[in-house]
Amino acid sequence: MKKFTDLRFIIGLFFSLTGLILLLSYFIAAESNHPELNLYAGGVMLTFGLVMLFLFYRGDAENA
Amino acid sequence: MHLSFPDYLIICLYFVVVSGVGFMIKFKIKTTNDFLMSGRNVPLWITSLAFISANLGAQEVIGMAASGAKYGIMTSHFYWLGAIPAMVFLGIFMMPFYYGSRARSVPEYLALRFDDKTRSLNAVAFAVMTIFSSGISLYALALLLKVILGWSFEFSVFTAAGIVLIYTFSGGLTSAVYNEVLQFFLIVLGIAPVVAIGLYEAGGWTGVSKNLPQAMVHTWKYMGSADDNAMGVNAWSMAMGLGFVMSFGYWCTDFLVVQRAMIARSMSAARRTPIIASFPKMMMPFIVIFPGLIAVALTNAHSGFSLPLKADGRTDFDMALPALIAHYYPSGLLGVGVTALLASFMSGMAGNVTAFNTVFTFDIYQAYIKKDGTDEHYLQVGKVATVFGILASIGTAYLTAGFNNLNDFLQLVFSFVNAPLFATFLLGMFWKRTTGHGAFCGLLFGTILAAAFHGLTVAEGKGGWLGGPIHTFHSGMGQAFGVATVAWVSCFVITIVVSLFTAPKEEKELEGLVYSLTPRLKDAKSPVLLAIAMIVLGLILNLIFF
Repeated sequence: MKKFTDLRFIIGLFFSLTGLILLLSYFIAAESNHPELNLYAGGVMLTFGLVMLFLFYRGDAENA
Repeated sequence: MHLSFPDYLIICLYFVVVSGVGFMIKFKIKTTNDFLMSGRNVPLWITSLAFISANLGAQEVIGMAASGAKYGIMTSHFYWLGAIPAMVFLGIFMMPFYYGSRARSVPEYLALRFDDKTRSLNAVAFAVMTIFSSGISLYALALLLKVILGWSFEFSVFTAAGIVLIYTFSGGLTSAVYNEVLQFFLIVLGIAPVVAIGLYEAGGWTGVSKNLPQAMVHTWKYMGSADDNAMGVNAWSMAMGLGFVMSFGYWCTDFLVVQRAMIARSMSAARRTPIIASFPKMMMPFIVIFPGLIAVALTNAHSGFSLPLKADGRTDFDMALPALIAHYYPSGLLGVGVTALLASFMSGMAGNVTAFNTVFTFDIYQAYIKKDGTDEHYLQVGKVATVFGILASIGTAYLTAGFNNLNDFLQLVFSFVNAPLFATFLLGMFWKRTTGHGAFCGLLFGTILAAAFHGLTVAEGKGGWLGGPIHTFHSGMGQAFGVATVAWVSCFVITIVVSLFTAPKEEKELEGLVYSLTPRLKDAKSPVLLAIAMIVLGLILNLIFF
């Protein structure tokens, strides 16, 4: 429950999921304008999301 | 703009997350302080990002891209000149009084420093302005969604207001602040790709510069005379009107932004909040202004992208950013871009509502209606004020839709009210002789004289409603800077004169509220070096784009 009130977890979760959606869109969606943007932006967002989740879990472990 | 399944999925994910945040935080809300002040226990990185995000509403995002398309990189004056110095000043000189006095709001500081009538004047004006700002934000959101997604006005207004209500009612200020930070990252990560692809298509900054008039790619070079630049403002007017009066008036006294620093965990963190925030703030032009320049450059280069036109055939600068997003983003990223715009609108509204409920509860209800209520009672009042704030915002959105010029009129009135404020705070914090009567008269007559100056001058056919104009400005912006300067100077002079003829408070009552009567802080983490670094960085950016 506590993790849902920690902003690092919320941001990490949101951008990880958004990044995954963009990557999936790149691999499975029909042809569209500049599809490579989904790949790059998805990669960046997924990485950012995972970093935020890592920071959350590291901080959580330190506080435990 | 045609959205498909991945786009809607991202929009839904955002709605679920923001509503969920409010719902989860609800369990942590036990007291009025938790609901309205986040328990004054928010980490520094969150307060810093919330500090600039509270100002990063959609009018800012869409409006700055539009200004970038209209005036060029000169728009960055609103950041590098019109924000950074004021934010640094707030952190170094003013936060010790706001935070150290333990005031819960800016109007409450005025009550402690001056008297109740000065507090009420500021509290009532602020409460009204936040509601109207929130309503205008909602109206602008509905207009944008109608144009880009085809959603009806009613659907947009009630959906956005409903979601904001869910998370602000449940989670109070903490929830609003969390969403502001989420929105910050959404805007940066959601708009940065359009800058990257736009720059790539235009041939980099060299290509952009080549396809724009030279006055659009310099910040200061063409400001020698108001005739030489599209803004119609000269360097002096820009430095005094925007760089000093308007900028310091907003960043140092507007409770909406100052509140984000006041909820920090310690004095040290509260002081560093606006200074740390000044770094992302000075980088924001690359995210929000560059799209405007890129849009014009691509249009001029006949690249296949062109800025949309209004019904009357003129260029629709307000659509610069949405048009770029629609043109370049594939399905998926398009959803991120639209969500970023939605988030900025809703966050702007939530920021206003959470500032309103605090000022209403502490500075109007507790100060004048019921002084001795229980904490539980004030918590309920804060929640009712939140609901009222949302409903009044909806009403204002409809009012704005019904009266074409209401938005412009309100912005004008707000400028009259805001402009003199910094003079009051500056004198109050740094001159112990300033009295409550002086502050009240300065604020009141500063506002009246600002309105009178507007009525005696004209620009772009506006103003001059008090008879034959005494001066004609090159542009509305030049007139706004002039009005602000007159308001500030008159407030400053009137406050001094009236203070000299009225009795000041006892020095003992002013300890912790006035610079000369407050012991110097021995802060192990002094923000001075950080502040100098930010000022130097701001200067470097000005020089690069000189």
